[in-house]
Amino acid sequence: MSVLSKCREALLCLRAGRVTLPYPAQPRPTPPRFRGRPIFNAAKCIGCAGCANNCPAREILVVDLCQEIRVIQYLGRRCTFCGRCAEVCPEKAITMSRDFETATPQIRDLRQRLDLFMSTCQRCGRCFQAPSPLEQLKLKGYRFDDVEHERWIFRSKAFLDSDATVDDIPIELD
Amino acid sequence: MNLLWTILGSALNVAAVVLLAPLAEGVLRKITARIQSRQGPPLLQPYYDLLKLLGKEDLESGECPRVQRFAACLAPTAILAVATFLPMGFAAPMHAHGDVILLVYLLTLVGISTLLAGLAAGSAYSLLGISREMMTMITLEPLFAVALIAGAVHTRSFHLDTVLHGSVYATPGVPWSGFLLLGVFLLALPAFVQRVPFDVAEAETEIMEGALMEYSGPKLALIKFAQMAKLVTYCGLFVALFAPWGSHLVFPVGWLVFWLKVFLLVLLVTFVAATHARYRVDQAIRYFALLLGAACVALVLASLGH
Amino acid sequence: MIARETLNALKTRFGPALIRADLPADNRLFVWVLPEVVRDLSRYVFRDLDARYVISIGADDRPFSGNYLVAHNFAFDRDHLLASLLVHLPPDAPRIDSITDVVPAANWAEREIRDLLGIEPVGHVQPKRLVLPDGWPDDVHPLRKDVPWNIAPAGFDPSRDYPFDPPPPGCTVVPFGPFHPTLDEPAHFRLFVEGEVVRGCEYRGFMVHRGIEKLAESVLTYNEVPMAAERICGICGCVHNVAYAQAVESAAAIQAPPRAEYIRTIMLEIERLHSHLLWVGLACHIVGFDTLFMQSFRIREPVMWIAEKISGNRKTYALCVIGGVRWDLTPDLQSELRQVLDRLESEWQTAVAAIRNDRNLQRRTRDVGVTPPALVKDAALIGPVARAAGVDIDCRRDHPYAAYDRVAFDVVTHQGGDVWGRVVVRMLEVFESIRIIRQCLDKMEPGPIQLSITDDLPAGRLGLSSVEAPRGESHHFVVTGENQRPRRWRVRAPTYQNLQAIPAMIRDQQLADMTIALGSIDPCFSCTDRMETIDIRSGTARTWTQAELLAQTRARPE
Repeated sequence: MSVLSKCREALLCLRAGRVTLPYPAQPRPTPPRFRGRPIFNAAKCIGCAGCANNCPAREILVVDLCQEIRVIQYLGRRCTFCGRCAEVCPEKAITMSRDFETATPQIRDLRQRLDLFMSTCQRCGRCFQAPSPLEQLKLKGYRFDDVEHERWIFRSKAFLDSDATVDDIPIELD
Repeated sequence: MNLLWTILGSALNVAAVVLLAPLAEGVLRKITARIQSRQGPPLLQPYYDLLKLLGKEDLESGECPRVQRFAACLAPTAILAVATFLPMGFAAPMHAHGDVILLVYLLTLVGISTLLAGLAAGSAYSLLGISREMMTMITLEPLFAVALIAGAVHTRSFHLDTVLHGSVYATPGVPWSGFLLLGVFLLALPAFVQRVPFDVAEAETEIMEGALMEYSGPKLALIKFAQMAKLVTYCGLFVALFAPWGSHLVFPVGWLVFWLKVFLLVLLVTFVAATHARYRVDQAIRYFALLLGAACVALVLASLGH
Repeated sequence: MIARETLNALKTRFGPALIRADLPADNRLFVWVLPEVVRDLSRYVFRDLDARYVISIGADDRPFSGNYLVAHNFAFDRDHLLASLLVHLPPDAPRIDSITDVVPAANWAEREIRDLLGIEPVGHVQPKRLVLPDGWPDDVHPLRKDVPWNIAPAGFDPSRDYPFDPPPPGCTVVPFGPFHPTLDEPAHFRLFVEGEVVRGCEYRGFMVHRGIEKLAESVLTYNEVPMAAERICGICGCVHNVAYAQAVESAAAIQAPPRAEYIRTIMLEIERLHSHLLWVGLACHIVGFDTLFMQSFRIREPVMWIAEKISGNRKTYALCVIGGVRWDLTPDLQSELRQVLDRLESEWQTAVAAIRNDRNLQRRTRDVGVTPPALVKDAALIGPVARAAGVDIDCRRDHPYAAYDRVAFDVVTHQGGDVWGRVVVRMLEVFESIRIIRQCLDKMEPGPIQLSITDDLPAGRLGLSSVEAPRGESHHFVVTGENQRPRRWRVRAPTYQNLQAIPAMIRDQQLADMTIALGSIDPCFSCTDRMETIDIRSGTARTWTQAELLAQTRARPE
């Protein structure tokens, strides 16, 4: 009988109880391996820019103010929380926190800026040997991403235009 | 003196419907949520919704805004007019000013206000919605008419206070027609109040609210209220026709008993709505046609004295 | 040596027209042919050899070989073979014979090649724009190598309209979308309705087109592409992630370690679990049965929690890199996963028993949206849609990948090809997925999860990968390239094929059944529209019909 089967269905549902949580009054805790907002630790960072080179969203900018000072800026706008930056960092200076409630009326709140004093190898200027060719730092030399307008300067545009300078700054083509 | 009682009684009926209809809707939502394993909105949420909508800007969208405004006003007016003709624990306030035939017309007017609303909006989806509504109305409205006429046949009168008092059972022997009509009406109740499985006319996931498409703000508040009032009023009509026991007790006991029965019916509608899928319009019409056939059989039985 | 046998069959029939053949493995065949025989060859392969059509791909190979490239991919499911027929086209006037009249399923693929590369399919039955927005100028083809990825073309015309077909006589037009409560993503179905019966339908989609393939060629690198691939779809991201990694691995002839393959299999099946449970709930919601919708989601939620515990996120698992996976399954997580599966199995068994006895639900889904087996063949339908019509295909068994060759499972089929069949198939596949995950957990051995890659990946190699997504076969085609990024990456999501059958499925059916028929193919428009054109800065409101809600702005902020 259709009515009986419907009653049985309703009983099944009632037995399950109420499962929805009154979020945000009662938040749900995040598990240990949760990939939340990445936190950059300036004390451990060696300024290799491996994170910037491997960020799929191009949200980490690097600019060399002078020989000794490199600025690494994480913008956080299009961050997909993939964790590649944390994975590639040789010094484990980036940790994926468990923080996911990052809504803010000012997008500047998501920024993290590291001002790093660089001492370079006098002979080769490199920081470390990448573990795999897929993660190699192809972008050698000085970096001039546009921090003021929050733009990554794309090498491929220069490549397509066969133009070896970007805004009068000579760069090495890939 | 009679005029004073009429006015007071009508005012009490209208006030009861206005105040209790959103509560019935709130109970319906809360119990549906419980069956769906979730918290659900607060019981008083429909009141908050209506107040919020009333406070919004009255936008003009759709083909014919004036007719839309008229339809939005007509819907709650029609249903509240029906409420003044119902005995809610005491004799129907307006029973001296109208009879069963007028009641049938008023019930039809309620449906027409929806049709008008959709027609005035004029969008492809609202026209689809009202075409479905028309199809359902054609097969559903006669059911009420048949029940009232069966009652009238039994009591040999079209007066409201005689017909709307369990008249379907007023036969010398076992009231077979009455029981048959009771069964038919229990099966048709979700359709009258436009709930799942028979809310084809405004199937949200299929035609985006149908007739209510171009309504927002205060107009939507009025129409939503009319739908909530429809739920309680039709349940009230059902109680008056088929379950009048206890309603004639002295006021306020009879009044409380009446509303208790109405809320029990609301629970029944809720339970059915939460456990069923929506039927397609052609399936729904086939179902109503079957019920109409059974109602006609009941009418024949009534005329034969059973 | 099935690849060799197939090649021999082609050689006997078409001999001198075959220029070159590559058989990198026994289950892969690449044949370069002359443009003149493409149509006859496709007909021979599709009809006489009874292969399943997969996709047609266009690529701009001018910087490397000086030509354009068109590939028609077919699958020989019985023989476990994926084959690709490739044609080089001269750069000055690229045109090729359309194969749509012999292979009806190639309709969209050829229109896409025409839009994005400018390769004209001569003789196409419906040569209309498919992918690019209406105002896009006619002579700018985004996938060509000389067009930058972030171009805003000068000739964009915001007032240009799409030339829809006129409705048949006696029918009114009911617009379905781009905004509709049932659709999670924008798509426009222009229904021609007579009363309540649908007489025809035209589809205009690709509104969520995002430029992922172009990004992979210009901006991203090999290990960054999986993150973009994962975000092609809101439900089946892991599938694209794994399929891309497998395609590159197949092209570069590298093999992920066994433990990585088991982990990939487990995550793919977890994704299938949550997708099917979601779909059953959604189908019930579409027919107005909200209670079952809520209950399905309640039963599904523990799957999302365990996925979050294992991978760090409920849906975007960020699973693969080239040569392996990024994280491991610890013994704690494994035992917790087993507990979740046990509980899920018992709850789902109760739910399935309730659904199978529910006559009310069956009345809405039986004999609705029927796809006869002939339509399945012609339109190259895949996944539960095909299996519900009795066609026994499943990439996990026919083209084994990851660890599927090491586990035992049944392929669920049903007869009748209606929506009810698809409901049953998806419900029962949940149990098969649970079975597969348990076997993987039992058979997994400790070991490395990533291959150590010491050399650059070779450029110019072709790779194919077919992965069984919850919706059907997801097929990726990769040409490896320079600068650590692919030269060409083509994603063919299952909904791409299944959507093309919608007009045939809903003809002469009730309008009310339109939504459930559409929902029953489990459409994932984001998967289908996975290529972007530009950031459109048009703020113009466009009206298709008087009644449709307007898409106020299609501008995407920078």
